[in-house]
Amino acid sequence: MASVTFDHVFKKYGDVTAVNDLNIHIEDKEFLVLVGPSGCGKTTALRSLAGLEEITGGEILIGDRVVNDVAPKDRDIAMVFQSYALYPHLSVYDNMAFGLKLRKFSKDEIKRRVGEAADILGIQDLLERKPRQLSGGQRQRVAVGRAIVREPKVFLFDEPLSNLDAKLRVQMRSEISKLHQRLQTTFIYVTHDQTEAMTMATRIAVINKGVLQQLDTPQNLYDLPNNLFVAGFIGSPAMNFFRGRLRKDGDKLLVDTGDFSVAIPPSRSKVYENHAGKDVIFGIRPENIHDADFVPANIDSEKVNVKVDVTELMGNEIFLYLMSGQNTFVARVDPRSKSRVGQQATVAFDMDNFHIFDAMTEQAIR
Amino acid sequence: MASTSMIERAKKKSDFRKTVTPYMYLVPAFLVMAVITFYPLIYQVVVSFTDFQTKDLLRGLASEKLNQVGVQNYVDILAGGLPVQNFDFFRVLTYNLWWAITNVALHVPAGIVIAVLLNTPGLWMKRIYRSLYILPVVIPPLVVATVWRNIFDEQYGAMNQFLTSAAMLFGSIDPVRIRWLEDFTPPIAWLLPNGPLTLAYYAMMIANFWLGWPFMTLVATGALQSIPKDLYEAASIDGASAYQQFMNITVPLLRPAMIPATIYGFTTSFNLFSFVFFMTGGGPARSTEILVTFAYDLVRNLRLYGAAAAFSVIVFFVALIIFLITNRLTKATENIVE
Ligand SMILES: Nc1ncnc2c1ncn2[C@@H]1O[C@H](COP(=O)(O)OP(=O)(O)O)[C@@H](O)[C@H]1O
Ligand SMILES: [Mg+2]
Repeated sequence: MASVTFDHVFKKYGDVTAVNDLNIHIEDKEFLVLVGPSGCGKTTALRSLAGLEEITGGEILIGDRVVNDVAPKDRDIAMVFQSYALYPHLSVYDNMAFGLKLRKFSKDEIKRRVGEAADILGIQDLLERKPRQLSGGQRQRVAVGRAIVREPKVFLFDEPLSNLDAKLRVQMRSEISKLHQRLQTTFIYVTHDQTEAMTMATRIAVINKGVLQQLDTPQNLYDLPNNLFVAGFIGSPAMNFFRGRLRKDGDKLLVDTGDFSVAIPPSRSKVYENHAGKDVIFGIRPENIHDADFVPANIDSEKVNVKVDVTELMGNEIFLYLMSGQNTFVARVDPRSKSRVGQQATVAFDMDNFHIFDAMTEQAIR
Repeated sequence: MASTSMIERAKKKSDFRKTVTPYMYLVPAFLVMAVITFYPLIYQVVVSFTDFQTKDLLRGLASEKLNQVGVQNYVDILAGGLPVQNFDFFRVLTYNLWWAITNVALHVPAGIVIAVLLNTPGLWMKRIYRSLYILPVVIPPLVVATVWRNIFDEQYGAMNQFLTSAAMLFGSIDPVRIRWLEDFTPPIAWLLPNGPLTLAYYAMMIANFWLGWPFMTLVATGALQSIPKDLYEAASIDGASAYQQFMNITVPLLRPAMIPATIYGFTTSFNLFSFVFFMTGGGPARSTEILVTFAYDLVRNLRLYGAAAAFSVIVFFVALIIFLITNRLTKATENIVE
């Protein structure tokens, strides 16, 4: 068990900076998820921690020990690869036992540990099989099992679920969460899927283009994104953005998008007053846009006239794809909504739940 | 009822079409094979039961002087009844097998090790090495044999000259004059014991090594590329040293590719006619003779066509047995990897 620290870590491939000044301190027993779009440097960061890549600058610590020059096998970590990387010629048992045999564990101890891991993962019946005789989900379990038996200080996962079908992915997600609770060890988990990140992590590090954007709990990332990238990346369907300008109209503060304007309620206008006249990006999540006929009580709302482009009935709610002038956006509205495709409608923006970003810096204005 | 029987007949007709059509397509290929493969094959089997000699060449099987001798040719070959000196079928067969086995036993491991070394990431001028080792694969064995024959020449050969220079470093002034391809008794008794293997065998092993390893490297290089890199990474995290990774990942995962290559190498060496023929001609005293060179000798010099035909039939069965064994081996190793 150990903490992990990335201290000003850089990794360059020629001209490409895959990891750019990464600073993260991961507490012992934490479940940290590195999330970001494909190619943002998540894998590189993880592989650097594993010792599979030599970093260009900075320090990586496991516990108190700087591991920059420590061989992968001596870092006391275990890694689950996206491809699973099971040894194709070895049985499931031997796959899991491989690392222990190399480390000269006794036969009995190997047997005990493999058996225990197989019990945890429900793969007792598969021990004699070769990897090619397993389904994707089973291989995934074996790959996890191979990591468990080593009893490492830190578990690393590189998109372990991305090769599974949607249903299995959901199931494995909760199993890995349970595993974390059971093992009480540091987990570092890489994914491009924000849903995975949100459902599993104790904290999430959002990365874009090699740069750490925000490091926080799932709820805080959702409620208080630091910048436009995080706001757009976390949440599904994604947050709606409108380019506009902060404008003073008498004692009211408005966001004017050109097509419509919404008034910022007095309770929040104080924060934005100094920025009047600035080009901003107004962000609001789909669930905070309501059908004007079904606005929840006690919220400050602003009505906007829109044209309905597409409707998707989800049962307990309806996704409306809306247009207002140049802007297209999504609303998740009450299933009783009478909105019909092609017709005009009126929606209400919940003005207690919106975000404003500086159009220049793309940072949140708070 | 009339209508049903008509339908049935139509159905039968289409069934007939279905079964016959594929064979129709095979007819042209079959005709060609009949002329160039099956006819000579059967002809040879027929000849093997006769005393076919030069006198019968003109009229072939219609020759009046041709005698049916039954299995006499086969008995002569196996029991040593042929009018040939130093001939013992089983000795030649044993040597032939030994020759083929020792060759692949050298070529395959060497090929793998060289492939792994050349596969080192970041190695300079990889492409040049890779195109260089194709050379022996594409040069005809005849040329290779001739060149190596010259290298092992007693007076002018590079090998003896090299040894002479090396000996001079140790103060020797006598030129080294090893008769590599002719001597029957090895010059250095303690190093190469005087047994069934002559110096020529070792010289040929050296020459054929030059000829044989590149193919194995070629195959191994291709197979190496198909081993996922992350297996090595997983193993390095699991605690495997470079040597342990080689033994536990590279070797087992090369096996599916190397076994067919080994079989190919074995059969190639087993029947390496042009190389043996041009390097030693089977000598000295038939000590490096292999089955195919001997069969050639039966026809070319001894003109024993009947015996040669019988010999070929026997070689065919030897090859068949080897094929069956190796086929077993391949089957057993199929499907190691998806
Ligand atoms: N071995 C490599 N050589 C050169 N560039 C690389 C290498 N590995 C990764 N990169 C580059 O580094 C960036 C980050 O890659 P990666 O860490 O794999 O992204 P992610 O896992 O977030 O999808 C990408 O632009 C990728 O092209
Ligand atoms: Mg990746």
